[in-house]
Amino acid sequence: MELAKNLNASVNKSFGKTDLLVDLAQSISGVILIGFLWMHMLFVATIVVSPELFDALSEGLDKYYLAQFGIPATILVIIIHIFLAGRRAPLRLRDLRITYRMASLMKHYDTWVWVGQVITALGVGIMASMHLWTILTHWPLRAATSAARVASNGPADITWGSFTFPYYVVFYVIFLIFGEYHGGFGLYRILVKWGWWERHTMGWVLKGITVIIVVLGLTALYTFTKIAANPALGGAIH
Amino acid sequence: MSAKNTHYCDVLVIGAGLAANRSAIEAAQAGLSVIILSLVPPRRSHSTAAQGGMQASLGNVAMGKGDNPQIHFEDTVKGSDWGCDQEVAKMFCETVPSMIRQLDSWGVPWNRVTAGKKKYASGIETEDTKEKEGLITARDFGGTAKWRCCYTSDGTGHTVVFVVDTVVCKLNIPVHDRVEAISLIHDGVTCYGCVARDLRNGELNVYLAKSTIIGTGGAGRIYAASTNAVICEGTGGAIALKTGLVPLGNMEAIQFHPTGMPPVYILMTEGARGDGGYLLDKNMHRFMPDYEPKKKELASRDVVSRRMVQHIRAGFGVDSKYSTQQHLWLDIRHLGQKWVWTNLREIANIAMNFNGVDPAKELVPVIPTQHYTMGGVRTNKDGAAYGLKGLFAMGEAACWDLHGFNRLGGNSLAETVTAGYICGKQVAKYTLGATQDFNMKVVEDAVKFEEENINNLISGKNGKENVYDIRTAMGTTMMEHVHIFRTGKALEQGVAKLQELYKRSLKIGLRSSGQGANPELALAIKMPGQVRTALCVAYGALMRTESRGSHFREDFPKRDDANWLKRTLAYWKEGADLPTLDYEPVATPLLPPGDRGYGEASAGPVKK
Amino acid sequence: MGRQITISCFRFNPNIPGDKPRMQDYKLEEYEGMTLFIALNDIREKLDPTLVFDFVCRAAICGSCAMLINGRPRLACKTMTRNLPSHFTVMPLPVFKLIGDLSVDTGKWFRDLQMRTEAWIHTTKKFDFNALEVRMDNKIAEEIYEPERCVECGCCVACCITANIRDDFMGATGINRVCRFIIDPRDERADAEYFEVVGDEGGTFGCVGLMACDDMCPMELPLQENLAFVRRKMAGAGLKLTFPGIKL
Repeated sequence: MELAKNLNASVNKSFGKTDLLVDLAQSISGVILIGFLWMHMLFVATIVVSPELFDALSEGLDKYYLAQFGIPATILVIIIHIFLAGRRAPLRLRDLRITYRMASLMKHYDTWVWVGQVITALGVGIMASMHLWTILTHWPLRAATSAARVASNGPADITWGSFTFPYYVVFYVIFLIFGEYHGGFGLYRILVKWGWWERHTMGWVLKGITVIIVVLGLTALYTFTKIAANPALGGAIH
Repeated sequence: MSAKNTHYCDVLVIGAGLAANRSAIEAAQAGLSVIILSLVPPRRSHSTAAQGGMQASLGNVAMGKGDNPQIHFEDTVKGSDWGCDQEVAKMFCETVPSMIRQLDSWGVPWNRVTAGKKKYASGIETEDTKEKEGLITARDFGGTAKWRCCYTSDGTGHTVVFVVDTVVCKLNIPVHDRVEAISLIHDGVTCYGCVARDLRNGELNVYLAKSTIIGTGGAGRIYAASTNAVICEGTGGAIALKTGLVPLGNMEAIQFHPTGMPPVYILMTEGARGDGGYLLDKNMHRFMPDYEPKKKELASRDVVSRRMVQHIRAGFGVDSKYSTQQHLWLDIRHLGQKWVWTNLREIANIAMNFNGVDPAKELVPVIPTQHYTMGGVRTNKDGAAYGLKGLFAMGEAACWDLHGFNRLGGNSLAETVTAGYICGKQVAKYTLGATQDFNMKVVEDAVKFEEENINNLISGKNGKENVYDIRTAMGTTMMEHVHIFRTGKALEQGVAKLQELYKRSLKIGLRSSGQGANPELALAIKMPGQVRTALCVAYGALMRTESRGSHFREDFPKRDDANWLKRTLAYWKEGADLPTLDYEPVATPLLPPGDRGYGEASAGPVKK
Repeated sequence: MGRQITISCFRFNPNIPGDKPRMQDYKLEEYEGMTLFIALNDIREKLDPTLVFDFVCRAAICGSCAMLINGRPRLACKTMTRNLPSHFTVMPLPVFKLIGDLSVDTGKWFRDLQMRTEAWIHTTKKFDFNALEVRMDNKIAEEIYEPERCVECGCCVACCITANIRDDFMGATGINRVCRFIIDPRDERADAEYFEVVGDEGGTFGCVGLMACDDMCPMELPLQENLAFVRRKMAGAGLKLTFPGIKL
């Protein structure tokens, strides 16, 4: 105990700089990812305007190698972010227990929101890998391929009469909400920690933005399923 | 069972409020080893509750122009109704300005003078010049000729306690908190230190030192209603009294603060009136100018408190949901929202928290409430207690006798650090020159005595009296018989009741097991000491057949300098059930007795 | 007749061999203006003389009586029972060492904090008894007083998940304390020196931003503002140390 303390006192001082850089990197990677996410959703939402605009945009991204560079870069940032932000998460069983107990005792809004962030982080991590896997195995990314993907039924069809369980639509709705929740509140937390703004007002602004993005995403999903169901628009029913 | 641990040091400081901590700093800086004992972590001491400020004649603010230690001295002596030690008062008034500046250098964020014309809510218009800008400013307080109360918003006590404690931390002085001294160890000549009970686990420990300082604060809790914290039980004075050798001085001099807020009796700072607040009666009439045309609400505390009770007795008290007894109103609405919620924020919060009243918009109920014990362990001007070598006392626990029979607002906080400095230096000087052989037989006997007492309390060997019943009865007796207005008859009855209670307090038996950090046992141990202290107050008041400062006898309404220009010394002889009173003359070498300029003697007949 | 209230109280005295943590119910009659200070003292005086808890000033200025009241850290002395449901719980603050029942050892924790952050004015100036005080703008004095108002009750530490999980995290109160000295022109420490005491994960970079401290501070200190201020200041200091010559 004494030894550990002494080591802490003499050695730990030089860790301050590392702690700062790690903390900065976590915040910066978070900001990059939420920026990416919002941009991504705006791009996807162009499908609501027209499939031509969507295609033109995605062709443009390919042509200037933005996709080829951007996707690996984003994957890298995600991995960095998982490692950096993960160190904050209650990982040990003891920590989980304490977190759950305190959050339930206090019924404190922001603490519960953070617990939600930890849970959505897990979800987003897994779902993002699945999402990346499917888009990369169905390259290139165009309105028609995206619509087909959204409308496809996944590994095994479950059908009750005329109803077919829409695996991918459900997957994307959950992914969308998890991603936006984690990102939206993540940005809130970054701004709270560094920022000059009063957090309650800022919280409402960010919640507003998040709702708008989620609505855009849902509209885009709906449009994709419409396209998929209508061969005239280039769709192909599974 | 015997003492679990024995600690040795050069200077043992009992208490960790401002006076105690400040003296510990002096001793530590002299290179002595110091241990501080405290009931609570030092920053929770009752000194933090001092809201208003500290009197020092800096003369920076326009309304304090031309102020100097001599004027401060005269105010203090008049305030004390010539009961104070003038030599001490002079020394204090001369030292306190540099104390304020030293606190500043340690980090107290004193409010500063800002240049420009100002109009105060009280109607006073002044102009502060550029030349004084940035120096420490001051506000008005009761009973003073100049504005000299230095402050930080209304958290002066809080900031000063925190800052002084930073120095204690810096010097790495060990603080044993949650420890209660339960008796002094002495051989009849010299004080050895104390037996202390660890409030974390109930163990008894021994602390031995060349010098022991008592800085345990006041004894307000002998009254049922007091503005004091619940830890202000006069324990330091009680253990000194129990030695039979050390007298308590002037215990009958108890201050009642005009503005305690019922029903919880939390203090509304004098700063509220200093900043221009009024007192109103049930007809919303500002009555103080009728009684005190010159000083109005800002006469000394004893006078304002008496005038308030007098006014209530005349039928002008308010009945309201806030209190079962009649009260009056404090009105600071005219100071404005901004002033109230910046400069008087702590009391605004208190009024809001406890009565749901926003003082910027509504009236605050107030009633005179026990506030300060001017008396205490009688010491000489070096802080050395009478009767035992190596024992010192300072702050509210002591009768250094800066305050005589009435203390001026802002003089107590100033006294703590100044006495801590002046007497702390003397303690260091004494300790450096002292050698001490501890007779271990004496130490062991002291521990054995306390152990046996604790065992008896737990087993109920002496009786089964309920400690809480005794405390409640003591509190109400003091309220009914030894309050603002006193009469011989009421005091006689009060003394008789207290004597009865004292006998019962020796027969206390616990209802609980007394194991570990047991709160019932903690109170039971000190209960007889508290009743003894209460008896010193009541009996001293009964025997003093005059009125002086806060001690007001309706049957002897005049100050009597011919017979009573003297200080009460109360001793407690072993086995007695009353204190033995002795008196010593009060010298008035610098300012002979005269007119205070306010109060009953000056104001002429009262308009009814 | 007032309302009947039931207080479920955490009970455990580590000094009594064999004692086990449990919740114990006490029934009381409520009356006008009853605070938890009054209620708990009533319990001790009339129902159970063994109940351990801490009160000092009973006026919300000393910070002794913080406890979890219905799960939230508050000062018991200024909590009116009428603002609580008729059945509620009281528990000791987490993080701090338990002394018994509702009493925890904040004293030692905070003393360690002072030593660790060297929370005192560092100056090379020697005090001159005969000199005037150094001038200061009144605005700065008022700014220092804001963070200085902290009463060290421990509420912000108890409600902080990070402080609950990590032993070495100094909590909002610690960062706020350093903030007070950074603002103070009398403290001559350079930013790099503050960085040594607060610029790591035990200090400012350990905060996750859950803001329970900001929501539950009984003194209503602007903790979000103060924590962000220290974080930015320390980020600047740390970057300068890492990349000498950098301009910020």
